[in-house]
Amino acid sequence: MSQESSPDSTVIGDRPEAARARSVELAIGGMTCASCASRIEKKLNRVGGVTAVVNFATETASVTYPPAVTADDLISVVEKTGYTARVPAERQAEVAEAAQAAQHEADSLRIRLLVSLALTIPVVLLAMIPALQFRNWQWASLTLASPVAVWGAWPFHRAAVVNARHSAVTMDTLVSVGVTAAYLWSVYALFFGTAGDPGMRMSFAWLAAGSGSGNTYLEVASGVTALVLLGRYFEARAKRRSGAALRALMALGAKDVAVLRDGTEVRIPAEQLAAGEQFTVRPGEKIAADGIVADGRSAVDTSMLTGEPVPAEVGPGDAVTGGCINAGGWLVVRATRVGANTQLAEMARLVAGAQAGKAPVQRLADRISAVFVPSVIGMALVTLTAWLAAGHSAGAAFTAAVAVLIIACPCAMGLATPTAILVGTGRGAQLGILIKGPEVLESTKAIDTIVLDKTGTITTGRMALVNVTAASGTHPDDVLRLAGAVEDFSEHPVAAAIAAGARERLGAALPAAEEFASHDGMGVSGIADGHAIAVGRAAWLQRELALAVPAELAVRAAAAETAGQTAVFAAWDGQVRGVLAVADTIKPTSPEAITRLRRMGLRPVLLTGDNERAARAIAAQAGIDEVIAGVLPAAKVDAIKQLQDAGRVVAMAGDGVNDAAALVQADLGLAMGTGTDAAIEASDLTLVRGDLLAVPDAIRLSRRTLATIKGNLAWAFGYNTLAIPLAALGFLSPLVGAAAMAFSSVFVVTNSLRLRRFRPETLASTRLP
Amino acid sequence: MAANTIYAVTGMTCEHCVHAVSSELTRLGGVTGVTVELVPGGQSAVTVTSDEPLLTDDVSAALDEAGDYQLAGPEQR
Repeated sequence: MSQESSPDSTVIGDRPEAARARSVELAIGGMTCASCASRIEKKLNRVGGVTAVVNFATETASVTYPPAVTADDLISVVEKTGYTARVPAERQAEVAEAAQAAQHEADSLRIRLLVSLALTIPVVLLAMIPALQFRNWQWASLTLASPVAVWGAWPFHRAAVVNARHSAVTMDTLVSVGVTAAYLWSVYALFFGTAGDPGMRMSFAWLAAGSGSGNTYLEVASGVTALVLLGRYFEARAKRRSGAALRALMALGAKDVAVLRDGTEVRIPAEQLAAGEQFTVRPGEKIAADGIVADGRSAVDTSMLTGEPVPAEVGPGDAVTGGCINAGGWLVVRATRVGANTQLAEMARLVAGAQAGKAPVQRLADRISAVFVPSVIGMALVTLTAWLAAGHSAGAAFTAAVAVLIIACPCAMGLATPTAILVGTGRGAQLGILIKGPEVLESTKAIDTIVLDKTGTITTGRMALVNVTAASGTHPDDVLRLAGAVEDFSEHPVAAAIAAGARERLGAALPAAEEFASHDGMGVSGIADGHAIAVGRAAWLQRELALAVPAELAVRAAAAETAGQTAVFAAWDGQVRGVLAVADTIKPTSPEAITRLRRMGLRPVLLTGDNERAARAIAAQAGIDEVIAGVLPAAKVDAIKQLQDAGRVVAMAGDGVNDAAALVQADLGLAMGTGTDAAIEASDLTLVRGDLLAVPDAIRLSRRTLATIKGNLAWAFGYNTLAIPLAALGFLSPLVGAAAMAFSSVFVVTNSLRLRRFRPETLASTRLP
Repeated sequence: MAANTIYAVTGMTCEHCVHAVSSELTRLGGVTGVTVELVPGGQSAVTVTSDEPLLTDDVSAALDEAGDYQLAGPEQR
């Protein structure tokens, strides 16, 4: 529904128009950069009485307009500027439409490819095997090849023309020129030359001097088209769905919320929540919006925002963030920021902003074409003039010039990148490395820095028991058994860690506990094995049970806190008997992974939203020197930008929602498969097993794939470039053309297949495929 | 007399920008051709062919109309 609202102006009679001005948010399509946004803004503001603000990152225009202007007027202004505008009600439909359009495109490409292939095969066979060349075969060839050269290659022709208007030259131009040259020449030869003679057989000599108008090059025209279409089809299939990262982020928000109205709970969709309203959050539920706790105490999982694995304890007056999960007790929250103003929406904007800031990388093949095409055209012209100057007939001169154009189009070029990427991604998938953004591989320069998120990337992201110390006179096993028995009843991650750790260390089941009680996240109590046990914070034990912590345990706890761990005390029978330290533990393979990354010449940097102490402790265990801690998601993006501005090429590995924008900003983003959908969608590579050891392998694989692409392109162009002098001198024959096509294509495919032998570095204790 | 002037323009980042700038400049009286050498995010060279030399103010206004583009530095003829 379009959001129409009347402004606060209460001036009546004096300026009635202002009082009746309406506002609307339009969804703008077709913008490719911030300049487009400001252009639209200018045009809209030109309309009388209209004020508009266009946001490029969110693709919306917020417009206030007088009654004299209609929303349709606004839309037509935008359309005249060259973009599209929709009233948001249609946004859902718009997204579905976009997906459908993409599907249509992929389908039409497929049809073009299949038809072209079907028609090309007989054309090539006829041209290459004289025995098959029945009477008037060349006319059959023409009939088969024409649809391919005209309709099959249509996307290239159209792109070439559009680009030419902007004086741009891309791979499409090269293909279009080559195919058109070959086709038109063949038509000329058939109708005006000797190729149309019924008994004509294609000359099979390698160097067929002066046989220009006796030959057709239909197999070149259709073969090139078919092969390049094949390459395009592979690429289209591998293309990442745009907007997936943003969609994943927005899916994190709560869908509905229990609002408190007049003392009763009413369940409404989350969008309808207004700032200032109070809503309840049950344990396990997502908090619907940013707000302040009005009532209740609980622990909130803020890992989405800060990366801290320890839930933050909150009580009345504390701020909470929408999208976080309420891990502990029941809460009543007063909403302060809703909808587009929440931190979650802010993070979505960060991701959109980072994505927008990435200039689309010019494809390697396009860059080469930009130089190659003018050179080839130049050479054709030189050939033409040289022949004419040497006194040959116009026909012969033309033959040579067109021959240059025909042979210069490397059909393997269309396969060079897609086949390498296809094989590379296939091999990667086998190793648990999903390459989702193949276009990134082309632009991967030498990466020299690897930024790593802490929680969930280097560490397991789950709390685990790391240490238990008993007071003198008590056995640590007792501490484990009794504390574990009681903590088993709590949902709190710290409690779960203690219970799990206790079970593991004791190697036995925990005794059953009775009369379990949870005390607002400060501690738990219960009865087990005949003892009344309390486990919790020192302050709580002191305040509620008048129990003091013995010095030796206090020292131990302080040491744990310094190391970034969380310490809780266990007490029974009137005394505090032990302290348990719980922390997020480093994955066992992480230190080795860091070592390997260093060996590859990469500098590791730890970047986390968690506090400095925890960060330093983990960094020391992992072997990382550079640490940036306590950063919010926006600051993570800035940190990456700063590194890039300093001239470093940055790869980033992360798993959380708070990493999504930074993953986009990095030159190469790697997501842990065990992490959030938002991070996975935002990054270029996904490491399925979430094992940090896969990072060096992933980087090596992408480097190897890039090298293969470059090798393929070099050979594709190389073969044809070698043949250019032949063509210029008038020695081009269909056989040379076909041979160049065949050999370069075979080479490119075989070279790409070599990627299948890529091997990950194996660890002595781990067996990898 | 026909003039060929090269302007250094900042703020252009994509093909859209090229198109916008070209069409706005072509609308100026006397302009017969515009070509753009795009340097995304940097200074792009915009060559304008016109019957008479153009006033810098007119060019600036046209660039402004097209979006957030600015003339940087002196022109070359």
